[in-house]
Amino acid sequence: MPVVVLAHQAPSAKERLRDAAAVAFVALLLGIPMLGLTTVDQGGALHVATRWPVLGLFVALCFAGRLLARFGLDRLQLARRVQRPAVGAPARRYRALPSWLGWGCFGIALVLPIVFSDNRYIVDTATTVLIYVMLGWGLNVVVGLAGLLVLGYVAFYAVGAYCYALLATQYGWGFWQALPLAGGLAAGFGLLLGWPTLRLRGDYLAIVTLGFGEIVRIILVNWTDLSNGPNGIASIPRPTFFGLPFKPGDDGTTFASFFGLEFSPLHRIFFLYYLILALAMLTNLFVSRLRKLPIGRAWEAVREDDIACQALGINITNVKLSAFAIGAMLGGCAGVFFAARQGFISPESFTFNESAIILAIVVLGGMGSQLGVVLASLVLVLLPELGRDFAEYRMLLFGAAMILIMIWKPGGILSHREPTLRYRGESGSP
Amino acid sequence: MCKNILLAGCSLLALAASPVYADHLVAIAGPMTGQYASAGDQIRKGAELAIADINGKAGVLGQKLKLEIGDDACDPKQAVSVANAMANKKIIFMHGHWCSSSTIPASDVYNEAQIPMATVSTNPQVTERGLKNIFRIMGRDDQQGLVAGTYLADTFKSKKIAVVDDKSAYGKGLADEIAKAIEGKKVKLALRESVTAGEKDYSALVSKLKSAGVEVMAYGGYHTEVALILRQAQQAGLKLTIMGGDTLTNSELVTAAGAASDNVLFTFSPDPRKNPAAADIVKRFRDAKVEPEGYVMYAYAAMQLFAQAAEKAKSTKYADLEKAMRGGSFDTVIGKLSFDAKGDNKLPGFMVYRWKGGKYDYVGK
Amino acid sequence: MALALQQLINGLTLGAVYGLIAIGYTMVYGIIGMINFAHGDIYMVSAFIAVTAFTLLASLGISSVPLALLTVLVMSVLFTSVYGWAVERTAYRPLRGSTRLAPLISAIGMSIFLQNMVQLTQGARVKPIPPVLVGGFDLLTVDGFTVHLAYSQLLIIVVTVALMTAFSYVIGRTSFGRQQRACEQDRTMTALLGINVDRTISLTFMLGAMLAAVAGVLVTVYYGVVDFYIGFVAGIKAFTAAVLGGIGSLPGAMLGGLLIGLIEAFWAAYLSPEYKDVATFSILILVLMFRPSGLLGRPEVEKV
Repeated sequence: MPVVVLAHQAPSAKERLRDAAAVAFVALLLGIPMLGLTTVDQGGALHVATRWPVLGLFVALCFAGRLLARFGLDRLQLARRVQRPAVGAPARRYRALPSWLGWGCFGIALVLPIVFSDNRYIVDTATTVLIYVMLGWGLNVVVGLAGLLVLGYVAFYAVGAYCYALLATQYGWGFWQALPLAGGLAAGFGLLLGWPTLRLRGDYLAIVTLGFGEIVRIILVNWTDLSNGPNGIASIPRPTFFGLPFKPGDDGTTFASFFGLEFSPLHRIFFLYYLILALAMLTNLFVSRLRKLPIGRAWEAVREDDIACQALGINITNVKLSAFAIGAMLGGCAGVFFAARQGFISPESFTFNESAIILAIVVLGGMGSQLGVVLASLVLVLLPELGRDFAEYRMLLFGAAMILIMIWKPGGILSHREPTLRYRGESGSP
Repeated sequence: MCKNILLAGCSLLALAASPVYADHLVAIAGPMTGQYASAGDQIRKGAELAIADINGKAGVLGQKLKLEIGDDACDPKQAVSVANAMANKKIIFMHGHWCSSSTIPASDVYNEAQIPMATVSTNPQVTERGLKNIFRIMGRDDQQGLVAGTYLADTFKSKKIAVVDDKSAYGKGLADEIAKAIEGKKVKLALRESVTAGEKDYSALVSKLKSAGVEVMAYGGYHTEVALILRQAQQAGLKLTIMGGDTLTNSELVTAAGAASDNVLFTFSPDPRKNPAAADIVKRFRDAKVEPEGYVMYAYAAMQLFAQAAEKAKSTKYADLEKAMRGGSFDTVIGKLSFDAKGDNKLPGFMVYRWKGGKYDYVGK
Repeated sequence: MALALQQLINGLTLGAVYGLIAIGYTMVYGIIGMINFAHGDIYMVSAFIAVTAFTLLASLGISSVPLALLTVLVMSVLFTSVYGWAVERTAYRPLRGSTRLAPLISAIGMSIFLQNMVQLTQGARVKPIPPVLVGGFDLLTVDGFTVHLAYSQLLIIVVTVALMTAFSYVIGRTSFGRQQRACEQDRTMTALLGINVDRTISLTFMLGAMLAAVAGVLVTVYYGVVDFYIGFVAGIKAFTAAVLGGIGSLPGAMLGGLLIGLIEAFWAAYLSPEYKDVATFSILILVLMFRPSGLLGRPEVEKV
């Protein structure tokens, strides 16, 4: 491997200042129309208001920030260059993630409600995290394993949620009865979408799935007889504990009265938490088993090179379709849980943004990495939650964080993927 | 790493989630952001002045009131999470939400958490579901639709009338009632349509209205769409008169539609600014540079309602408050409030207003 | 008949706007093979700049419509192109050469960032401006229905045609156009030939942003109302237009835009306005089933 040696000199103070001044100038141009000027409604007509001090502060911050960041980065780079090993030394291998890490996370998840038994908010937030974990694991099958870019995953989530909501409110179905049916229905939708479109490549598939997601949402908004339109479906029954409902009162046996406990709304929250934990763990088990089966191997093979797969006699349409259907089914099951937990759903919950966030979880986590999905869900759910104090800025920070994480680790937080198969001769086999 | 993030997250959350309060926590909720934010703004200004006034005197039962503000952006999903957050904070009274489609799902949560609420949402379903904790301080869409429909049928008998809605709980409910009232007067509708709220292009609707020869349109929905439809009608050379509901009190309509807004009629409760008993409060609002239009006075009245009910019940417990509100009669800036068994108020119903030169007033008979 | 003509005019107007935005998608896709999800938000930023500029001009007392339009156009195009450049420089350039999905996620992040930035700095409310161009031509009257061509619609169509002509010249005849097309073909080879690839990519982003800015100004004049959410809807439609026409193909983007505008207009007028987007996306799926590279796209050559 040829080595390019670049003669690096630390930039002089003048160069640094010039660089920072250039950044500040761009910041000024960007800031004038947005920060410097704004329009306010004053009694029936807009007027321009100026905020020059804010703009000045922003530009000064950019200048100082650039100066410091540049300086820091240069220092870092210098340090790295000094430490760089001699050419020819074996490239640093990724350490395999210790297997206890996953179990550790599971253990923490298991005891979390017990530790925070008096804090409804934490358990609620953890439940949300787990919903996204499950969705992420579902989408991971399609994007991470089979390598199909899907931008409309939320459609399957919506199908599952509405399926349960309608069955439960119209026909009195229970959570456990509706779960398999909703999963099956979502898988059916996956096949319906996948069948005609899977021969499209890459980004064409992406836009078609995006369109499909929008179609489902628009139908939910407009088919008022079925879905109650933008107003959503309210009063969706909550799941019961083997037929025992979680509610106060004296009519019939409830969870509290059966176990002789005093009623507390926390019971249901804990129950929901453990329910989604169980569902998520089942998903994990299911997916990691599938990866070891021929079908899972075929997914990854198709992802790496579908032409080679075709040459080897793998029916790539069927392989892709199966990934689609299984991913859709998992999304549908997560949707059922979502509807049961919220007690209310509306098309607003199933916008493209939701698809984007689920996709971001898969990509940020490191495509195909199960643990990465957990980490990314934690980051993407907790970030806005922690930011509630600066409520207005939280989505702004969220967007910025997405960009920064991607730049910092373009392959995702856990970009290393344990190969499913190894040559026998290769060292480091598990 | 996973462990650390989780633990760090949890401990931070624990810090954030369990503050200690000594004051009475009351709350308002509505669209503080989003395209209907000006309504949320009105509610906030009304409630803030009311609370300042109440605290300035003696508070309620010797304690001060503290205001929590929830933002649902008129999105039912956010409304439910706001409701959950409010229930978590253990508020004892809620004024909200504003959009009917937010109020309906959120009220389930408040009902479960036993929090009494006063709302200005007008969809009949708000009080028709048998929830005991809801009190409506505004009229209902069936009354509102009747007034609007009758007015249209009487005034524009010879013109073609269309009824359009935006599919929201509020919009569709109102439009259906208007259509019923018009047809009840044996006037035939020229067109019955639905649009999707939040879009920008209504040129197809305008073309349809034009080709059906419609000159008067009743619209169930919010002011932003009305402004767009008016503008696009004007651009297409169609002179359109629009009749809408209480949401069209918003002065943003005038900003957005310009002079065309003089063709807008709407129904609203009798203007509380004209209530002589409230003249003092109106002046205080105007001194604070707040025009007490739209929902400002209603928010003020909601807080008065809570304060008086709590004083009367000598308690802030749900059961006592609920009983006091249902049984009592309360002197507020919008008049004497008292409620029926469903939680609807017994104030007189709706008037027809017209925008003129950026202000609204009753239409001349 | 008259209704159809009216909807043809409305559809062409809408389609022209989609086409202008779609060109930004298609150029960026052609040159670096990524979907620039933030492009719709660039368009939204330009519309806000236009609102501020119109209000500013009104307060300065400039009442001549052509002068105001021209000034606003220039201001919006200038500032928006800086935004286009900055977005590429901060969010995409560091990711060049990494996986295909990394820039996509970064673009989604940028889109969320821009939307919220505008919401924070400019407010979440709808921003209206007073009508700029009022009136129009009555073309013909059939059965009491007058087909009306508003001046603002005429403006949109004329400006779009003019821009397309100028743009084909830039891409087809100038040296920048040649560099741009060379980068599309093979970036490494282009770099070896001494062309500054980074600069060409930056310029492409700026050019896309300029076209989006023109679209933003035109839409502000046409509808008179903007909010921070318009970028998302327009972005998705324009992206669909780009794919429908064959992503990477400039005439395809324009054709796709016009088609989508017309589908929407006719579907809304004759079938149901609620399901017009369903129609758009269904037709996209149908077209792609039979022509997997879009209407004017080149089929991809698969190398083994």
